[in-house]
Parts: sequence; C-alpha cells; structure tokens
Amino acid sequence: MRRVFSKPEKARIFFKLFIREIEMLGINSLGIVIIISVFMGAVITLQTAYNIESPFIPDYLIGLTARDSMILEFSSTIVGLILAGKVGSNVASEIGTMRISEQIDALEIMGVNSANYLILPKIAAAVFINPFLNIISIFIGLIGGYLAVIMSGAISADQYLLGLHYVFVPFYVTYSLVKTVFFAFVITSVPAYHGYYATGGALEVGRSSTRAVVYSSILILLINVIVTQLMLA
Amino acid sequence: MIELKNISKSFSDKQVLKDVSTTFEKGKTNLIIGQSGSGKTVLLKSIIGLHDIDEGEIFYGNLEFSKMKVKEKKKIRKEIGMVFQGGALFDSATVEENIAFPLEMFTKMNAEEKRERVNFCLSKVNLVNVNHLFPAEISGGMQKRVAIARAISLNPKYLFCDEPNSGLDPRTSIVIDQLIRELTIEFDMTTVINTHDMNSVMEIGDKILYIYKGEKWWEGDKHQIMKSDNKELNDFVFASELMRKFKN
Repeated sequence: MRRVFSKPEKARIFFKLFIREIEMLGINSLGIVIIISVFMGAVITLQTAYNIESPFIPDYLIGLTARDSMILEFSSTIVGLILAGKVGSNVASEIGTMRISEQIDALEIMGVNSANYLILPKIAAAVFINPFLNIISIFIGLIGGYLAVIMSGAISADQYLLGLHYVFVPFYVTYSLVKTVFFAFVITSVPAYHGYYATGGALEVGRSSTRAVVYSSILILLINVIVTQLMLA
Repeated sequence: MIELKNISKSFSDKQVLKDVSTTFEKGKTNLIIGQSGSGKTVLLKSIIGLHDIDEGEIFYGNLEFSKMKVKEKKKIRKEIGMVFQGGALFDSATVEENIAFPLEMFTKMNAEEKRERVNFCLSKVNLVNVNHLFPAEISGGMQKRVAIARAISLNPKYLFCDEPNSGLDPRTSIVIDQLIRELTIEFDMTTVINTHDMNSVMEIGDKILYIYKGEKWWEGDKHQIMKSDNKELNDFVFASELMRKFKN
C-alpha cells in the first residue's frame, strides 16, 4: 500500500496515465452505466406505480420514490456492483497478465516502482471519474422513469415531474457521492491487489480476476451498510 | 564486474542456492548453465534483486548491492538492462514506446532525441521500420531483439538475459547470441546470460558457470568445457549424440 501511494516518478507521466485510465475505466464504462440506469429508472418507476396504487397516496410520490431510490441506492451501489464486475475483472486481468508475463519484473528491474506506476493512476482515475458516472446515472435513471410513465401511462408525466422536484434533500446527493468514492477505491484497489500478486499462468489470472470481483462486491455491500449508518442514521 | 560471495537462498524449507561464489567480468559474456530446476533462474533473479538472498554478498563493482536500501538499489538498476525469457515487452505499447520507456522515465530527452535513440537501438539489433508495430505483430525473434534494444536504451553497464534463445529456431538463436556478444564488446558491459542452449555455450561462453542442485559445480570457458572430466557437467553438456560426437 505504501508503495502504491508513494510519490510518482514523474508527474507528467502520471498525468498521462491518469488521463488514459479515465478513458479506460470511466468513459468506456459510460455505455453500460447508461443502459443499466435507463432500465433501472424505468423499472423502479413502474414497480412503485403498480405497488402503491391507492387513492390515498398521491401520484407524484412515484416520481419522488424513483428519484430518491436512484440517488440513495441504485446509481451508487448497483452501478458500483456492475462496475466491480466490468472494471474489476479488467484491472485484475491486465495487471495479472503483466505479472505472469514478467512485465512487472521488467518495470522493477528498470528501477520503476511498479505498484505506484500501475495501480495509483487507476485508483486516482476511478475516484475522480466515478462520481461523474454516478450523477449521469441518476439523470439517465430519471429519464428512464419518465419514458416509462409516458409509454405505460401509469401516471401522468406532470405528476412524475412534480415528484422529482418534491422535498428534494441535497444531502442525499452528497451521501451518494461519498459512497461512490469509497466504491471507486474498492473497485480498483482490490482487483489491482489480486492481479499484482497473481502467480502461475493464465488459469491463475482468471481465478484472481474472479476472486477480485467477488471480494470487491462483498466489500461494496459492507461499505454501503457502514456509510449509510454513519451518514444517514 | 559483478562478484558473488557465498550466496544462499531458500524457499520455505527448500534450499535452492547453496554457497555460490563467482565473478562475472566486464566486456565478457558470462553464462550460467544448468538443468531445469537447478537454481540458475533463482540465481539470476537474486543477482538483480528480484529475490532477496538469505546469506552472502553481491557486489556491483565496489558497491555491495545485497545490503543496499531500495533507493540505493534504484541507482544501480538504472545501469542494468534485462532481457526476459518471453521478452516482457509491454503489450499495450508499440515497439518505439517500449524502447523509449526507460528514456521517458529516467532522462530529460525531448521527443526528437528519444526517437533518435530508439532508432539507434533498433539499428543495433538490425531492425528497421518496426517502430509503430505492437509486440503481438512481430515474430518471436524480433520480440527478443526489441527486448535487447530496450535493455540497451539507457546504455547500461550490466546486461542480464534469461534464456534469450528459448522458443527460437537454431538460426535465429545464433543471430541473437552474436548480437548479445557484439553489444557486450561494443558497450563494454558485464553480460550475464542464463541458458541451457549448448550452441550458446560453444559460441559465446567467455565464462561458464555450471549450477548443479543449487551449487556451483564447475566454472571455466568454452575451451575448458571440452576438456573437463567433471561427470555431472559432461552428462549435462554432452547429453546428446551430436554433442558427444563434437567432443570426440
């Protein structure tokens, strides 16, 4: 850990790698985040609409429920879990392959701090870009909900939009972003660790990758509980 | 010059190297030979610091490498070039980027100077017009040459090669051997090669160290190896019919 967070050899090279990782881990994940979010937003809206159908409950609460569900849980935790699979397996297999093909040894022989060179830009990039993905996911989810109410006619679009504006708590967004930062750290650091200490051949790299995704997912769920208790209790 | 004094190394309860002492001289191709599992790769990785030794001392010139701290070792490492068995080229980088990597990390060269140095290194290993190709797009022999070009890019004092001929056809192996020998002489490097290729032994073995079950069993040069009566050495070097005919 100390080697990962030591000062980079050259700031210019670190920045170059940081930008590359933003593209690899963040921009390249945008597609899956959008797809998941639009469907999640639609499903949450429809399920809420069909489950709380009552003359005593105003329709706009469906929009409010969709909004708060996306902000509080889905755009941070579910997207975090999905990214743990996509980004986590990518990071573990990339670094694991570099380990077994002696590329990490080559870096060490050259006098490069391989842990710092390979892992720090990934962690920094994910911690930087994932909150943006979270915000995008929230917006796309709410658009998904909007499309769902228009297409299904479950409630009127006006009622849905009213619900989105109703009793908005800005702190929920802060809470969601804080969780995303923790998840981004887990999504990159845990797989990087498993890849970095991979031994053997291709089979072991595959196993490291699987282990990385499983441990990252469990950690995300655990951190979710802890942060929720600390911030919302 | 590199000097090893009483090197020992164990993994768990298995002793892999036992009391190995020798010197590798400057401007010469020094070969470490031995059967698979004899400990030669562990010895090579111990010399370059990828494994910490349990006992003994390793000197690079007058500097005791084995007792150095990480920062001090870093200085020596910038004087080391290493060619790995599989090349260990960075898959996601082009040939040019691979060779320029050490220059990028440790020099203040501008883009033009780096390109010139890369082309110089490529010309030394007889490669042209491969700058923009990725490692996966070139042959195994070319990958080894690129690995050598990367290893010499910082003008190292020490060159280490781990089985540089593995997976190559005999003709390409000879080319790689000659290339390493020429570069060793031209740049006056201390070159240490880990091999079990008998052609290399006969062609470029200025000094040969035979490792048997983790111990230094024999040392000499390519001329002395022909006359040696060391049983284990002869069983290893002259294992094939062809080599026995060659000796007789």
